[in-house]
Amino acid sequence: MRFLLLNHAQNAYQSLRSSRVRSFLTMLGVTIGIASITAILALSSGASKIISDQISSVGGNIAVIRPGTTTDPIASITQSGLNRDYAASTLTEADITYITNITNVRSIAPLMVLSGTIKADSVAPINSPIVASTPSLADISNLQLREGQFLDNGINQNVVVVGSDLSVNVFGTESSIGRILSIHNQSFTVIGILKKLNDPMNYNSVDFDNTAIINFASGKKLNNNVAQIQQINVKTKPDTDLKATISDISKALVNSHAGEHDFSILTGEQIAKPTSQLFYAIAGGSTAIAAVSLIVGGIGIMNIMLVTVAERTREIGIRKALGASNSDISWQFLIESLAISLGGGISGYICGYILAFGISHFLTFDPAFSWEIVAIALTISVVMGTLFGLYPAMRAARKDPIESLYQV
Amino acid sequence: MADVTIPPVIHLRGLEKRFGIGDAEHSAIDHINLTIKKGEFVAIMGPSGCGKTTLLNILGLLDRSFDGDYELDGQSVDTISKRKQARIRSQQIGFVFQNFNLVPRLSVIENVALPLIYKGIIRTKRLKIASEILRNFHLNEREYYMPHQLSGGQTQRVAIARALVNEPSIILADEPTGNLDSRASHIIMEELSDLHKRGNTIIMVTHNPRLTTYASRVITMLDGRIDTDTKSHIAPQKNRRHKKPVRKTKRNKK
Repeated sequence: MRFLLLNHAQNAYQSLRSSRVRSFLTMLGVTIGIASITAILALSSGASKIISDQISSVGGNIAVIRPGTTTDPIASITQSGLNRDYAASTLTEADITYITNITNVRSIAPLMVLSGTIKADSVAPINSPIVASTPSLADISNLQLREGQFLDNGINQNVVVVGSDLSVNVFGTESSIGRILSIHNQSFTVIGILKKLNDPMNYNSVDFDNTAIINFASGKKLNNNVAQIQQINVKTKPDTDLKATISDISKALVNSHAGEHDFSILTGEQIAKPTSQLFYAIAGGSTAIAAVSLIVGGIGIMNIMLVTVAERTREIGIRKALGASNSDISWQFLIESLAISLGGGISGYICGYILAFGISHFLTFDPAFSWEIVAIALTISVVMGTLFGLYPAMRAARKDPIESLYQV
Repeated sequence: MADVTIPPVIHLRGLEKRFGIGDAEHSAIDHINLTIKKGEFVAIMGPSGCGKTTLLNILGLLDRSFDGDYELDGQSVDTISKRKQARIRSQQIGFVFQNFNLVPRLSVIENVALPLIYKGIIRTKRLKIASEILRNFHLNEREYYMPHQLSGGQTQRVAIARALVNEPSIILADEPTGNLDSRASHIIMEELSDLHKRGNTIIMVTHNPRLTTYASRVITMLDGRIDTDTKSHIAPQKNRRHKKPVRKTKRNKK
């Protein structure tokens, strides 16, 4: 074996070069499959990275409490993070008080997302969310103001902070301080306009550029005096143990929920999992296509390898007569099919990134590079080369030397 | 009595090879007893279909399905594993074929270096050895030619160079001059007889009676049996250990 591996690699290179078009076409099948998988992974990890960057940019000491127990990562991917449209939330106003009293919690912002019409000069697009929260949201979610001020506990009137896109949508201008906005047919005075963030993907699942942020109390009033909390953002004091604080919060909440563990507390990477269903539907669909094209590519490899084996029957006979053992022959062909699939894998990886950068032109985030994607692309191609190369290689090894030698 | 202490290179007892089944069954080789000692140049003659090539394939360990006993260097071939047999082919046996059997997509030097791959020699050293042996055959200018660019005689010399590159003790040649004109044949035969003088055992199958002059022993085969043998070693050895009665003994005499 020892030197043979290198030798087989040289041999494979030579034989693939001698039939360039054929090798290229066979590799293409693998390339397409690997390229689409790479593109999907690069984009989805780019999306996750954006959110985890947001969290680390505010210090990394953030926990998010959501109703329901979706600790299963798959479920939290496939179900939208905030079941805001249907079920009643298990989080209550009382919970907010409990959490606020925990020692290491610095600030806390409940998030109550309402749907309703926002209008002034013109009606805002239907998907513009109304968020009811507390002043600390600005600190926790790192919201910065372009003009005016954020919500303040001192102001009890109906006031609203609008996102820059929403301002343009309803008032036709970005400078709308002091103007009146109607939400659910109630009048709100604009006191601040957010700086354009341009990141519709974040752990609040809210596109702040299109949002109207109102006081928690006003939000409750709009919702028939029921606090429907979809998410509670908690920021702990710097340099404290986040884990310990989380277990404190967990204990406090279980207590207040009469022993029921009907909420989940997410931190760091868990929050970073993008919650957009559409994104995952697209990713799932393209993964399926990629899988099909990989299988087709693999069948292509097997087909070409069978042809190669048939073409080289005589060579197999010669090699056996000259002292090649069966395993020498099967390695020779296995390595050739591995070379095809690895070549396809590497070019697929490169094409995948080109594709991902192309797509990211239309998205708000860039694809991410990580060694996991390289590992996945290479592993898939090696597995494919082996899987689909094994049968032709075994067939080659089993050929009878005499019949092979005297084949015309 | 030297040949009693040193086991013969090849010793066949009651070798039989059948093709087909039932009514269609026929024996390509029919109970052959044969002993070949080290350093012999054996020419095997006979009409087409008499089993010469089949015999050669069995001797070269390419054909494993036969009845009877085949001892190579005193060891019964049945007891040697497939992998070990491949190693024997790689290190002790050199093949020269009638139709040359060079690998068409490899250059001359790579063809010659081919057997060295399976000996586990690294590439640079392989090419060096191959180049040296090609120089002996006055083919060093053709090293990077492709097989189809060579004349028949040159091709066969490359094939012989390839058979010799492992320094095998036994050379099996299946009609090495089959398709060549008399001049090219002469050159090939000179090479073979040169090898013989250096102590190699050569077993050559041929149609051409003129070539037998190079051989030290001529065997003619007919219908899977040995018809004539210029120098037979079988009779005394058969008596040494006979497991089953051997038929056609009288045919082997002459």
